[in-house]
Amino acid sequence: MNLIENDNFANKGVSTPPPPKGRAVHSRWTSRLLLFLMVVGPGVIVMVADNDAGAVSTYTQAGYQYGTTLFWLMLILLPCTYFVQEMVVRLGIATGEGHAAMIYKRFGKWWGVFSLVDLQVVNFLTLVTEFAAISMVASAMGVPPLIAVPFMALALIAVASTGSYLRWERATIALCILNVVWLLIAIPLGRGAQHPVRNMLLPTAPLGGFTSDAMFLIIAIVGTTIAPWQLFFQQSCVADKRLRFSDLKWERLDTFIGSVLTQVFAIAMMLAGDAARRHGMTLQAGKDFDPTVMATFLGTHGFGPFVRNSILLLTVDAAILGATAISLSSAWAYGEVKGWPHSLELSVRKAPGFYAIYALCVATAAGLVLIPKAPLELIIISVQVVAGIMLPSAIIFLQLLLNDKELLGERFVNKPWNNWVNWIIIILLFSLSFILAAQVFLQR
Amino acid sequence: MAVQVKTNQDELYYVVHPLFDEPEEKINADDLGPMPMSKSVKFSLYALRGYLIIMGLLVSFHVLSLAIHHVMP
Repeated sequence: MNLIENDNFANKGVSTPPPPKGRAVHSRWTSRLLLFLMVVGPGVIVMVADNDAGAVSTYTQAGYQYGTTLFWLMLILLPCTYFVQEMVVRLGIATGEGHAAMIYKRFGKWWGVFSLVDLQVVNFLTLVTEFAAISMVASAMGVPPLIAVPFMALALIAVASTGSYLRWERATIALCILNVVWLLIAIPLGRGAQHPVRNMLLPTAPLGGFTSDAMFLIIAIVGTTIAPWQLFFQQSCVADKRLRFSDLKWERLDTFIGSVLTQVFAIAMMLAGDAARRHGMTLQAGKDFDPTVMATFLGTHGFGPFVRNSILLLTVDAAILGATAISLSSAWAYGEVKGWPHSLELSVRKAPGFYAIYALCVATAAGLVLIPKAPLELIIISVQVVAGIMLPSAIIFLQLLLNDKELLGERFVNKPWNNWVNWIIIILLFSLSFILAAQVFLQR
Repeated sequence: MAVQVKTNQDELYYVVHPLFDEPEEKINADDLGPMPMSKSVKFSLYALRGYLIIMGLLVSFHVLSLAIHHVMP
């Protein structure tokens, strides 16, 4: 905090000192709270958007198949996701540039292009799943997908193209706050606090043991919680918001709050799946688990239309949040590598390439979903496989960049304990990635 | 950034939103060029290449086996 002694002005005969810009408050605590509220955004958005439509499906399915027995995994993933995202916060604040630009500049053109292509492919496949979810929910609510999907795509393009970062951030934060409804749903759906808390604190084997299906779902949960686009998104978001060195502690807090929220909401989603299983929901032969079917089941089995409609609308909310964050991470990354103007603070006229990439991602994914008999199942499986394979490479670059003393200096570079934690996470991710590969390629 | 202004009567704190603050000088990666290839960096990048090659081969094997299965069920 900078201190200006106004007596100096009085001593020099200056009647009125030049007022510093910003909002004036009288209390130190109020100033800290106000500063935090100004900084908060990138951390909460990246974490809550991480619970996208695919995550809703994964978590509700985990609850349906394994009850509350996988809750301990959420507690383990909380620090993992925080530590990984905290690194991109430091990198973004120190350099004022995005993750794609850093890889390109420090590892050369080959790795730069590889990371960019890898990100664009995974992001596009994930985007298709977001629009597939919007289409499915629209059908379940009686709205024709031909109307709902293009409407959502246009809304997504409109909200990001206003030329104001703050406008986009406020709209997105409002969507994040809507997720609190998951907690309202979880209270009637849950079975008291004792059982879930015990399963969270004491790791237990999933119902039926560690079968290949259980391992696949555990890997899907890890892949959902730590995704490559999150690294690119938050660093670019921090850079676009022009966070200052002094904002680091507040952005860390923002990220921590976000990581707690994402796990709490995920647990609420698992409780919804658990309630469906306990009330006798069965899957039709040859059909995969579908959260829209689960919502309808719960609505007609004692929980009423509020629970049904809330779950359906929250799935759309998750898809919209995921779609805007993922499309932006693609557009920011492309703009950084190409050297184009790339900021939400710029108008469409001043950053045409950046907005064109954003709109292209959204429009193409939405269009693909509307094609009759598009291979959506194949795309959804491909997302899990490609993201699972590519995540370790994104984390390796992050770890190397955060140990780059020449770039970051002593202030921002990883401390030894950071490295220990991160190498454990990297080894864990590589191991899970190999298990996933073995399961998908050799058994299926 | 929060700026504290002290007068004889009162203390005032001015809080500035990052987007409306003066831009601060960041670390410039353009001046540094590519990262020096220390042993640990080289090892990490070689390990990553190996991992990607293994995964690429597994994907190719899987796609090929699916194609063969499709052609000759």
